[in-house]
Amino acid sequence: MKYIEKNIKNGIKLHILNTDKFKTNLVAVFLTTSLKRETVTSNALISAVLRRGSNTMKTQEEISKKLEELYGAGFDCGINKTGDNQVLKFYMETVNDEYVPQMSENMLKTSVESLLDIVFNPLIENNGFKKEYVEQEKKNMKQRIEGRIDDKARYALDRCIEEMYKDKAFGLYRFGYVEDLNNINEMYLYNCYKRLIDTCKIDIFVSGNIDDEIEKIIAENVYIKKLKERQPIYNVVNEKTNQKQNEIVENMNVTQGKLVIGLEVNSKDEDEKYSALVYNTILGGSANSKIFQNVREKANLAYAAGSSYFRYKDNIFVTCGIEISNYKKTIDLVKKQIEDMKNNDFSDEELENAKKSIVAMIYTIDDEQDTGITYYFGQELSNNKNTIEDYINKIQGIKREDVLNIANKIEINTIYFLRD
Amino acid sequence: MQVIDSLKVKEKLYFEKLDNGMPILIIPKKGMRKKYMIWGTNYGSNDNVFVVPGEEKETKVPNGVAHFLEHKMFEQENGTNSLDVLTALGVEANAYTTNDHTAYLFECTNNFYEAMDELMDYVQNPYFTDENVEKEKGIIGQEIMMYDDYPDWKVYLNAMQAMYHNNPIKIDIVGTIESISKIDKEILYKCYNTFYNPSNMIMVVCGDFEPEKLLEEIKKRLKDTKANGKIKRMYPEEPESIVKEKIEQTLEVSKPMYTIGIKDKPINNRGDNSDQIIKKDIALQILLELLVGKSSKLYRKLYDEGIIYGGIGFSHEFSKTYDHILISGQADDPEKVYSMVKSEIENFKQNGINENDFNRIKKKLYGEYIEEYNDVSDIARMFLSDYMKGINSFEYLEKIENIDVEYLTLVLNDVFKKDKMVISIVKN
Repeated sequence: MKYIEKNIKNGIKLHILNTDKFKTNLVAVFLTTSLKRETVTSNALISAVLRRGSNTMKTQEEISKKLEELYGAGFDCGINKTGDNQVLKFYMETVNDEYVPQMSENMLKTSVESLLDIVFNPLIENNGFKKEYVEQEKKNMKQRIEGRIDDKARYALDRCIEEMYKDKAFGLYRFGYVEDLNNINEMYLYNCYKRLIDTCKIDIFVSGNIDDEIEKIIAENVYIKKLKERQPIYNVVNEKTNQKQNEIVENMNVTQGKLVIGLEVNSKDEDEKYSALVYNTILGGSANSKIFQNVREKANLAYAAGSSYFRYKDNIFVTCGIEISNYKKTIDLVKKQIEDMKNNDFSDEELENAKKSIVAMIYTIDDEQDTGITYYFGQELSNNKNTIEDYINKIQGIKREDVLNIANKIEINTIYFLRD
Repeated sequence: MQVIDSLKVKEKLYFEKLDNGMPILIIPKKGMRKKYMIWGTNYGSNDNVFVVPGEEKETKVPNGVAHFLEHKMFEQENGTNSLDVLTALGVEANAYTTNDHTAYLFECTNNFYEAMDELMDYVQNPYFTDENVEKEKGIIGQEIMMYDDYPDWKVYLNAMQAMYHNNPIKIDIVGTIESISKIDKEILYKCYNTFYNPSNMIMVVCGDFEPEKLLEEIKKRLKDTKANGKIKRMYPEEPESIVKEKIEQTLEVSKPMYTIGIKDKPINNRGDNSDQIIKKDIALQILLELLVGKSSKLYRKLYDEGIIYGGIGFSHEFSKTYDHILISGQADDPEKVYSMVKSEIENFKQNGINENDFNRIKKKLYGEYIEEYNDVSDIARMFLSDYMKGINSFEYLEKIENIDVEYLTLVLNDVFKKDKMVISIVKN
């Protein structure tokens, strides 16, 4: 795999991942902007409206038919919260020409152009987005926001984050707020779109078995040419929480209690974050971890029990699905694992195993097309360019003292429990 | 080894059936660091009544045994747990149980042979004790409760209840707290000895390998177990009719969820050969795209008129003993969606299938079949689950070309029958 990046304009970057490992070419456009209450809802809605039709392909049906003709090009979009940024993601995947029985056009070119058309050439009527689309997508977005409760485990994690980052950017829900939807109309939303497009960070990724022509296709694309140079507005540094220790219990009609514990890691720099990743793997990041072993295998309190490290925010979230009556017992057991880590109570084997798991995961980056894009985007956002080899070396260089150093900085911040 | 070459997707399958009856499938992927090994037994949650080879009497086991057994396989006599051992090697290990098979697998970028040692060792050496069986009941109990909180799982299971009178697919794969309470180590050993015989198992490996060499390594690690003969499996008689057209359940959800089911005769009752199975599956995938897919008239109407929220999911699910279509999503009034789907089916039957639409969807599916060969793990899993149904995955790329509107019309009239349709709804 060969990775190249090119500045197309200030704030607009093209990333090329040249690889012959896949049958497909994957193109992605990421629009990154600061996460704010004033814009979180409108940005989410913009993504939903763009999907409905462009100035060239005016309806969803037209877009779908076009993609189907391109041997089922896959088009997808999503809204992510990446640290204190909101990222609008648009993807298009097409089969590489080599595997197409009858080729009538350059599939990659057509798919890139279609994707850029959807994102940068929206359907405009009377100085606004198409009213009908905006109204429908407002209704769909309302449902999407209210539909949060349908996945109880995910809901509990989101609620813990909201409480931990009350009144902070990271506490915002990535799809926004129902009450804010009411104030949005097609003109207002189009203005939000224009502002977003003029100020956001734009990253375009192309991954696949491709030649140099792709650079030209993108740089000379009519919509890309129209984009302004910019000093993109987004967050490189993420805000810390100022919440004190907190315990929240909420009720819903659930059979199983969902426990989430939010931890502050307090790494002092990017390098310490590698130690934090290893720390998390030992604590709850694998089947060998302290939490999985003690909460599930020894105490049999849970089926799902583990933890994840949120690198941008430098937080660890422990999650367990448990019998409601075992709430206190489980918290005590999790706390004990955190204490044991502080007391240097983990073996060399646990340390080595954790490093092995992480290294194995790093090696898959090049073998999975979307993982590759996500990795290089993460590097881009944190302004921290590591090759795969650098990343592996950093993990392999981590010593017991480094993990212990992290263990002693860890603080429990928010305990959240969803129960009946 | 037998080599099957797919010129369309430019991949090869190396195949060998061992003397003990076990097929081994190797799909080499040059240049990939990731490797994936999966070992499955043709034994799933539906296989609850059977005759152990060599015995006369039939054996009936509680619901959820196949899944329980899957959990317990990791425990070793020396006190270690194979999941821990594999994780310690830096490999991603896992296992799963479906209605018709159970599989043990790992994915790795390093230590392949060490991981293979462990996988092949634990799958061939069960160790069940009263104590370790008891302990697992607590963990699986929590797994059952976790599923109780998934409304999408409930709405699916209720659709099965509406369609099937007796087929065990209507019962949760994990069983119930009550049914798993009856499981003991004797039951587990009996099921293990019956179904974990090489003649009932399949191994698939994908990654950068020399197939012949890998085959030798696999053989070295196999115990000398003889094929134990055919296992007679008893499935309850299943009428062609549905049980009832509608099931509703109350759960805390944001908007009603629905699953529409259309029941069909399974492979075992139709006597289809593998070509017919694949052709029918492709035809149904095309028909579903035409009917409710993103570019369909019905989808546009449902979406534009705000009848549905978000997308519509659809699939054709089948094994040798069940066969049905599912269409699902969220809507304020699921019964309206149901009646619109019904009338669109009638409309298709009366007005025929549009040739242009058909050709376009065929292209789409072709591209999607190609895409399935991107990822080492996806490839191995696909070959395993298709093989369980008696299918070679490559055949989808070949057979799709032979499908025409005439055949599609035949399948449409044969499968999409009003009196075989059900709807399951979960709402507040």
